[in-house]
Amino acid sequence: MSASAPGLAAAAALPDAVIGEDPLARRPRAKGGVVATIILSVVAIFWISPLLLLVTTGLRPLSDFVANGPLSWPTEWTWANFREAWGIGKFADTYRNSALLLVIKVPLGVLISAMLAFALAKLNMRFRRTVMFAVFLGLTIPIYITIVPVFIMLRSAGLTDNVLGLVGPYLAFGIPLEVLILQSFFRQIPDSIIESARIDGASEWRIFFTLVLPLSLPALVTVAILDAVATWNEFLFALIILSSDTNKTIPVGLLSFQGQFSNNNTGLAAGILIAVVPILIAYALLQRWIVGGLTAGAEKG
Amino acid sequence: MATATALAPATREGAGAGRQNKKRYGGLRPWLFALPALAVYVTFLVYPAGTSLFFSFTNWDGLSPTYDIVGLANYEAMTKDPVVVQALLNNLVWTVVTIVVPVVIGLTLAILLNGKVRGKTPLRLLFYTPCVLPLVSIASIWGWLYNPDYGVINETLRAVGLGSLAQPWLGQDSTALAAVMVPAIWLRVGFPMLLYLAALQGIPAEQYEAATVDGATRSQQLWFITMPSLRPAHYIVLALSLIDSFKVFDMIYAMTYGGPGTATQVMGTWMYANVFQYYQAGYGTAIAVVITVIAVAVSIPYVLSQTKEHS
Repeated sequence: MSASAPGLAAAAALPDAVIGEDPLARRPRAKGGVVATIILSVVAIFWISPLLLLVTTGLRPLSDFVANGPLSWPTEWTWANFREAWGIGKFADTYRNSALLLVIKVPLGVLISAMLAFALAKLNMRFRRTVMFAVFLGLTIPIYITIVPVFIMLRSAGLTDNVLGLVGPYLAFGIPLEVLILQSFFRQIPDSIIESARIDGASEWRIFFTLVLPLSLPALVTVAILDAVATWNEFLFALIILSSDTNKTIPVGLLSFQGQFSNNNTGLAAGILIAVVPILIAYALLQRWIVGGLTAGAEKG
Repeated sequence: MATATALAPATREGAGAGRQNKKRYGGLRPWLFALPALAVYVTFLVYPAGTSLFFSFTNWDGLSPTYDIVGLANYEAMTKDPVVVQALLNNLVWTVVTIVVPVVIGLTLAILLNGKVRGKTPLRLLFYTPCVLPLVSIASIWGWLYNPDYGVINETLRAVGLGSLAQPWLGQDSTALAAVMVPAIWLRVGFPMLLYLAALQGIPAEQYEAATVDGATRSQQLWFITMPSLRPAHYIVLALSLIDSFKVFDMIYAMTYGGPGTATQVMGTWMYANVFQYYQAGYGTAIAVVITVIAVAVSIPYVLSQTKEHS
């Protein structure tokens, strides 16, 4: 889950600093900067030019690409590549599998991680620091040291070549990061609030569900988004566990699609775009939450 | 540990004496909350990792029902395996390059974006974009750009009259490792950029104003105000990048599968090849154990720092 590491920085997040507030909006320097703006804009366009070239390639006929090369402006536009790639890449299946995994794994992972984080942050658990150390150490464990035993376990449970088989390993590898962020967030909740709820006779479960979770909504959303990105992008477990094309997730499906389309450039570009455009849209919509969550840690100083 | 933290739970029990120096634990209740996550974590991470450690002392092929315990033979064999040496070296090069280069580019972009620039939000959005893409799709995109015949990179070189430099970037020993690191750099610039930008925004403007009044030059301000303020950000960026770098697998597997020959093998892909291609599960898991031990060892200071109270 390589995308997970950046989220670690959110661990030091302060409750009021996490979300919603855009750190860049704070100190506007409206005037000037024309030269710097132009230079940075050119660099930025160059930076994402691979994606722009994918778009022009995916939207032109193969003959046009072959005749004029990837750098030329298309003389003709078409959606045909997308139709072809969608079918051959079995994207209907891989999208369904990835989405199913996401809706099962992410809420479940956030819930059990929040419970553990609550125990660590607020319930004065015995061996607290030992448990924290053992769980956080999981951040550093590469997935590949576990793949052989995990494969054997899932095979004996009859869960290989089944997207549900991935839920357990994905949960386990998501827990360290989620607990790290959430426990540091929960700790910022004043003990006095929890204390007065206890005096009113609320149980620990009631305090957790009706007090701690609602107060931590911004952190829960950030953790859920980071976890969703990691889940959506995970490759190695999916590669080992899923074998038939109709059971694959997007990353593994994209790889086998790439093999079949090696000589069809426009179709390949269309397939890559089918795999990444929804992520890019989600990113553009959620970027404030992602950026806010990632940077909150660094601001603490 | 602050006394205040120990106080709160103790009052709940109504216990009076000795609560200042003796911390009262919450009994079984916290463990009920902790149980589901800990059970999953132990079942799917701790137990498999431990089992791999056991396999690394066997000669198991990954298929047969039986195997023998061979002690440290797999680890001895690694010292005579030239691919392991190359993979370790590649891991080292990968770690240094994919940390240092993105940090330098990210810091530069952050300083520029923190200056007088319009459209900061869209610019920041664009630079961070590669970070949210699946590694496999990044590998696909760059494999396509690198294509020797019709790839964008060679086409560009030909278009500007440098056609003699066009070459099979991923297909030859001399350039393959550098060619797989470029997309990794592309992917990883956004994260340090965001963190440094946030850190720069956190420096109070008064500090610069006071320095200007005292006659400090811009470079002095950069050196004496900006750089020291970035220290916490440096720590987070370096620790997290280090943790991430050791896990390298997806990008190499999807772009070169360790080739051509063994030019881009890293420990993760060489482990995979041994287990799933050469049916040497015992040897493969030993490779995984070695790189995991290194990764864990260098990360322990960071992990320890995260278990402390931030009070």
